[in-house]
Amino acid sequence: MILLEFHNRIVEETLTLRFRNAKEGNKPESIDVTVADFDGVLYHLSNPENDKTKIIVSISLKFYKDLEEHGAEDLIKREYGDFMTTAEDAQKDRVTVIFSTVFKDDDDIVIGKLFMQEFKEGRRNYQQAPQVLFSHKEPPMELKGTDARGGDNVGYITFVLFPRHTGAAVRDNTINLIHTLRDYLHYHIKCSKAYIHSRMRAKTSDFLKVLNRARPDQQKEKKTITGKTFKMN
Amino acid sequence: MSATLKPYLNAIKHTLTAAICVQNFNSQVVERHNKPEVEVKSSKELLLTPVVISRNEKEKVLIEGSVNSLRISIGIKQADDIEKILCHKFTRFMMQRAENFVILRRKPVEGYDISFLVTNVHTEEMFKHKLVDFIIHFMEEIDKEISEMKIALNSRARLSAEEFLKRF
Amino acid sequence: MKEVLFFEDIQHAKKSTTTCVSPRNFSIYFSVSGKNKTMTEKHSFGVTAVSCHAWNSSRSEIALSQNDSIVRIYKKSGNKFDETASLTEHGQQVTGIEWACKSNRIVTCGADRNAYVWEVVDGKWKPSLVILRINRAATTVRWSPLENKFAVGSSARVISVCYFDEENNWWVSKHIKKPIRSTITCLDWHPNNYLLAAGSSDFKARVFSAYVKEVEGKPAATPWGTKMPFQALMAEFSNGGGGWVHSVSFSPSGDKLAWVGHDSSVSVADAANGNKLSVVKGNFLPFIGITWVTENSMVAAGYDCCPKLFTQDNGGNVTFISDLDIPKEKEEGTISAMNRFKNLDKKASAKETSTDVRTLHQNTITQVTIHTGTKADCTKFSTSGVDGQVIIWDFKSLEKSISGLRIA
Repeated sequence: MILLEFHNRIVEETLTLRFRNAKEGNKPESIDVTVADFDGVLYHLSNPENDKTKIIVSISLKFYKDLEEHGAEDLIKREYGDFMTTAEDAQKDRVTVIFSTVFKDDDDIVIGKLFMQEFKEGRRNYQQAPQVLFSHKEPPMELKGTDARGGDNVGYITFVLFPRHTGAAVRDNTINLIHTLRDYLHYHIKCSKAYIHSRMRAKTSDFLKVLNRARPDQQKEKKTITGKTFKMN
Repeated sequence: MSATLKPYLNAIKHTLTAAICVQNFNSQVVERHNKPEVEVKSSKELLLTPVVISRNEKEKVLIEGSVNSLRISIGIKQADDIEKILCHKFTRFMMQRAENFVILRRKPVEGYDISFLVTNVHTEEMFKHKLVDFIIHFMEEIDKEISEMKIALNSRARLSAEEFLKRF
Repeated sequence: MKEVLFFEDIQHAKKSTTTCVSPRNFSIYFSVSGKNKTMTEKHSFGVTAVSCHAWNSSRSEIALSQNDSIVRIYKKSGNKFDETASLTEHGQQVTGIEWACKSNRIVTCGADRNAYVWEVVDGKWKPSLVILRINRAATTVRWSPLENKFAVGSSARVISVCYFDEENNWWVSKHIKKPIRSTITCLDWHPNNYLLAAGSSDFKARVFSAYVKEVEGKPAATPWGTKMPFQALMAEFSNGGGGWVHSVSFSPSGDKLAWVGHDSSVSVADAANGNKLSVVKGNFLPFIGITWVTENSMVAAGYDCCPKLFTQDNGGNVTFISDLDIPKEKEEGTISAMNRFKNLDKKASAKETSTDVRTLHQNTITQVTIHTGTKADCTKFSTSGVDGQVIIWDFKSLEKSISGLRIA
């Protein structure tokens, strides 16, 4: 799996199964499923008050409190909408989307940089893709004057979107891709680390074997039941 | 093998062969003690002059000999940030398993990436020349392994970037 | 059907081969028996290092330490050695063993700062403690030629010269202290029973007087000096370089002193010739043991795993003559399937890997001792090694197998 899916597959499958069931007129089953996703997101599918004909989908976001502080959900909705309309209105202009990401340790930053480098270079072969920029420690120029925080473990990813990315036909696709990038990046960093780890484990055991060559073979004498001795090599 | 690597490893091999001539030696300072003199450094006359064999600024080996032990510290090639973290991860991984490696020191000597401590107990239990072979093998392999891991990492990054960008 | 060959591998023997075909599995066995009875004898005592060894007077018994606190005595029966006794009085590693041939007593010393003299009482070895008065490990022990004294070297930078105190019925000691500045690593007695050579990790070889007036008469003059009060420093040598001294040996006449150091050198000082010094350095690893085998020749062995012969010519110059263990190309034996996979699993290599050193000793030689004869006319000498082996080398067969070798 190289690309991440935009939706949560478990949630999707669970729901479609229920809907199909209902359509076919089968008896609804009770549901109580908790699903974890990237960034500590939790989904909870359940029946309100044990009413099997209704399904509630709840989402728990770690950062929801922060969002609330900044003006709750309708604001996000409005912002989101505004942003899209702006893009459509200013057809000749470009839209810049910037988001920050926090790396857990120094190694992640280095690996993250490597990945972003490839994003920059990979665009040469895919002209239709938007320009991707990565800046580390300091927020990009566009965010100057805002209170965007810098720091050793903070990185900023900038997408420069042109009208061709925001046309009505491709708009959904663009939004989906952009909002999964952060998870996508961290997912692949994690995978790379796991891969490196397994390689190191294999190599270390290989080194141990080479060191074992230095040990002389212990010759054990064993006795058979009749008292004969023979040598084990 | 590149032209400069072979003489570098050869020089290390010969120095190690000579330096690994250690014997049982009880402490003349502390009663009933028998400690690696290269670590405790309590009697000056029991230490040999340390030798540094270096291929370039980064790749070097420090060999410190004494009457009953020697310390081999290796500086590993690190061309960029990626190699640096790979090297750091790898040496840390190995040092956490030092008890299996017997001759591995839990901490590298300052200025080096990884250190080995060979004492007379090791040379009595193991073949001397095989210990030398191990160190040389380790040095050959660790460079190779780090560059292979780096290549693997790069190709994963390229592939995932391309897959992503393709979708626009 | 495939034929499997088994080689019983004994090197250095003129081989007479008998072949027999076992009908059951079509295997061919080569059994090797030495035509010549005086060939090199190889005895393995396991994989643990033999740190020191000593022979009894008839060479039928050997006392050795396998890098632990126990002294084991083996008796020869046929071609094998069987363990007959183990002496377990030391609390830490045994560092020195010597067997007094005339009086059949064993003296041992250890890292536990003690030395014991062992005597057979009612068929059993009984220890008596020696008052060494040292607070660091004892490193080496040597009986004097008359076996009325012995000397113990130690990490306490002193030599304890021990003798039997009849009044109190125990072994007491006198200390030689000055000017020793580091651990005493090795000792050797002059044939006159008075002078003692000591090597130390302060890079020096010294000759002291160990004349104990309580037990013996006044010594006669020697080329080393005329007056010899106890502890007198008769001579002090350094070969100019550094190097911890690993072994010292007086020549059979007692006029010359040979020593080997960690700088891979063999040095000889001649007291009869104004302490003239001759040093030979070569492309070898350091030696751990040296002994004279004639008035002019010495055998030294150590980290090279191979004994080497050195000779001093009439002009006093010491030269390297020959390796005494000329490695032969070993044929690669067959390896069982089980061992093949075991090696693959453990060592990531299918080959038998322990056969890489081509000398008889597979690891460092820890001691060189005369086996048959004396320092003046040695015919056999023995070496013990970190590989757990004791090997007895015979000069006659060595002279035969190594072309041009003559022991001067």
